[in-house]
Amino acid sequence: MRFDIAVVGSGLAALVATRSLQKAGRQPVLIWPGLSSLYFVYATIDVLGYRDATATEPVDNPRAAIGELIAAHPDHVYARAGLEALTAGTALALDWLREAGFSWRGGLDRNVVLPTATGTPKPSCLIPDSMAGGDLGRDDPVIFCGFEGYEDFVPELAASNLSRTWGHAPGSVRGLRIRPPRFAPGRLFTSIDLARSFEDVAFRREVADRVRTSIATNGDRVRIGVPAVLGLTHVADTHARFEEEVGHPVFEIPTLPPSVLALRLFDRLRKHLQETGIELIWAAPAHAAEVSDGRCHRIQLKSPGREQAVEARAYVLALEDTADGAMRAGVHTIQDPFFHRVLARSDVPTERTLESLFKPQPFAQVGYRITDRLQPADDDGRPLADNVFVAGGAIAGYDPSGTKSRGGMAIATGYRAAQEAMAA
Amino acid sequence: MISDDLDLITDTVEEQAPVEACTKCTACNTVCPVARSTEIFRGPKYLGPESERYRDQHEATVTAGLDLCSGCKLCEVTCPSQVSIQEYIRRAQNKGAREKGRTLRDWMLGHTRLLSAFGSMTAPLANFGNRNPVVRLAMEKLVGIHRKRPLPRYQWLTFERWFKRRRQQAATLTLPRKERTVAYFYGCWVNYNERRLGEMVVHILERNGVNVIVPKQQCCGIPAVVNSNIDLARTYGVENVRRLSTLPAGVDIIASSTSCGLMLKHDYSHLLDIPGAEPVGSRTYDICEYLWMLHEAGDLDLTFEPLDTRVLYHAPCHLKSHGMGYPATRLLRLIPGVHLEEVDEGCCGISGTFGVKVEKYDLSMKIGSRLFEAVKAAGSDSVLADCETCRMQVEHGAGARSSHPVEILARAYGYR
Ligand code: SF4
Ligand code: SF4
Repeated sequence: MRFDIAVVGSGLAALVATRSLQKAGRQPVLIWPGLSSLYFVYATIDVLGYRDATATEPVDNPRAAIGELIAAHPDHVYARAGLEALTAGTALALDWLREAGFSWRGGLDRNVVLPTATGTPKPSCLIPDSMAGGDLGRDDPVIFCGFEGYEDFVPELAASNLSRTWGHAPGSVRGLRIRPPRFAPGRLFTSIDLARSFEDVAFRREVADRVRTSIATNGDRVRIGVPAVLGLTHVADTHARFEEEVGHPVFEIPTLPPSVLALRLFDRLRKHLQETGIELIWAAPAHAAEVSDGRCHRIQLKSPGREQAVEARAYVLALEDTADGAMRAGVHTIQDPFFHRVLARSDVPTERTLESLFKPQPFAQVGYRITDRLQPADDDGRPLADNVFVAGGAIAGYDPSGTKSRGGMAIATGYRAAQEAMAA
Repeated sequence: MISDDLDLITDTVEEQAPVEACTKCTACNTVCPVARSTEIFRGPKYLGPESERYRDQHEATVTAGLDLCSGCKLCEVTCPSQVSIQEYIRRAQNKGAREKGRTLRDWMLGHTRLLSAFGSMTAPLANFGNRNPVVRLAMEKLVGIHRKRPLPRYQWLTFERWFKRRRQQAATLTLPRKERTVAYFYGCWVNYNERRLGEMVVHILERNGVNVIVPKQQCCGIPAVVNSNIDLARTYGVENVRRLSTLPAGVDIIASSTSCGLMLKHDYSHLLDIPGAEPVGSRTYDICEYLWMLHEAGDLDLTFEPLDTRVLYHAPCHLKSHGMGYPATRLLRLIPGVHLEEVDEGCCGISGTFGVKVEKYDLSMKIGSRLFEAVKAAGSDSVLADCETCRMQVEHGAGARSSHPVEILARAYGYR
């Protein structure tokens, strides 16, 4: 199959790359490896929350902080992608969100600090409107409202954690649980079950009633934080009506994966690409780049029945990790399935992980070496193919978790890789 | 000692991951159309890899909720780890049915070919009966086929006989020597219900210099698979593999039904584990996939008559499983005057014979409701879908005309 430009991936980097190509009048095809678990951790688009993984003070202005970061670390992923790619990519992403029917807010010059599901404050850059009410820069009291049977959000825990770190009057944070209608008592359910139910008007009203009656004694200036389950589609509408019915401002809090916020985002953006004429190839994992004279001529897809070649002028590999086929992990090595290179070798497999979950993990650093133009590179830094570009989590040293920069790095590298692919 | 692992990294076609490859990410659950529509369905993650770990050949199968899985395979196309979720569910459904016994209805639906052959022989009567409310009420009560579900019309002249007749007539003419030859796997639908689609396929291929032969064939087996009768499906599959394996080298196999094609390409060698199925699968092409190949080789006739039509394309779930993208949309974009829009509202809900059953009809309509709304909102001349049961469902649920994408192509070639 021949295409103009082939993008491989399903995360934000792949989507932004595809959209950039589309907006520039090119005809990309999106080779979609399935919905990798990583994408479920998205809720907001974080650009830079902390200067480094050990910092405790959140970044106030991400754009300025990234400028400094680039100057100090020319090898950083942001330096490779460039501030311009981040700026242009973010503008493109915000326009796209609007066109696809989302209501989001924010910009690169300011972070807002929002509570997480465990009640810890977290800086974010671009956020859905439904979360905006959680801004901890404001001082109105917070009630965390959970649901019996939904164990991934514990309102008491969120309340006790937040009241420890948030410097407002004692008693301004509390937890509350209500029993959702319809679910049989004793049944456990997920955020997605709840979100599906919330699309039903009668369910939403009933929940609103129960919330309102439970907080009736609490004065006027109170906002309610609920796990992000206010529907999978038409969220702005559901949110507005729910607020009206509850009689107080309501904000959503991202939950443990599967994150409903992420699902809304990825499902809709993928569909929007399809509705606007982008072809998607499902169920065909990509691998094996065929290179001669410094150019990649085809990659192979493992389709049912037989391998199929995809030939394109350029390729954007916007994959993330071993789950979506960016890398293949064996017992001792991690290999790249496109150029068949060993990316990491460890005598003892456990070397790849640290026991503490919250320390930067060695496996997260493993990935493709890249050139200044984001081409995959050999050990001497020379491109493996002039017309292949890497974006997203598969880049070596790409570890956004400690610095809260997952979305920004995906946008910057996805956008930049698309620009390079057009020029290749 | 653990040996070096490079050998473990295989690059074979279509890997299948073991249950251990499931990372419990829940991606599959988020896309399952049945889980989305009914709370009682536990979802692919639980019924697939999670339960599979505890399934024991010697113990009775736990079947609660299992039969609600419609077999759309959307979970599999979404799983980043290539876990054969639906295959686990299928095997368990099959084992459960074997232990408990099948209903007459499921036995019948699994034998679509027999049923259709009978329907075709008695076409006027069968069609009358299928549209008669009294008969339908009786069918619902006695057999369990929902009375509101429109059943396909049978045709008296089968595709097979049409093709034979035509060959006999053509034998007196001299056919031009063609470089390419394909074997057409027309399937039960074209044979008994929509011969015209088969006629169009033949016309389009011949117009493009491809010689079409029609080997003797059996039902592909998908109706048996979805009615938990894997043994029957295997019997059919073995027969097809035996016949198709004797085709001369260089003859590709074409299917115009999405699910028949997927059976030949994939399920024969995986779920049904039929010896010799792989070489058959590797030469099988969906009709639009094949035509697009011709186009890339520079051999597709592009002298289309311009049309003026607005069409909406719905990609059938099983088409996504083919791993070939959407060749129909690429072809349609070559035709001047075709205004093509796409919807992706997921599963249409019918899933073959699933939505025909009395206890599943409502669920099937609920699953399809998002698609129906999108179709109604789009206001196109027709809805195109490669799969016949999707077309039945769209016509029933959205009241729209629906046809196979090759119909547009045939029209552009002047076929009336
Ligand atoms: S999508 Fe695949 S890996 Fe994820 S839970 Fe489902 S089966 Fe497991
Ligand atoms: S095959 Fe379809 S209905 Fe069955 S579990 Fe998978 S997604 Fe759900």
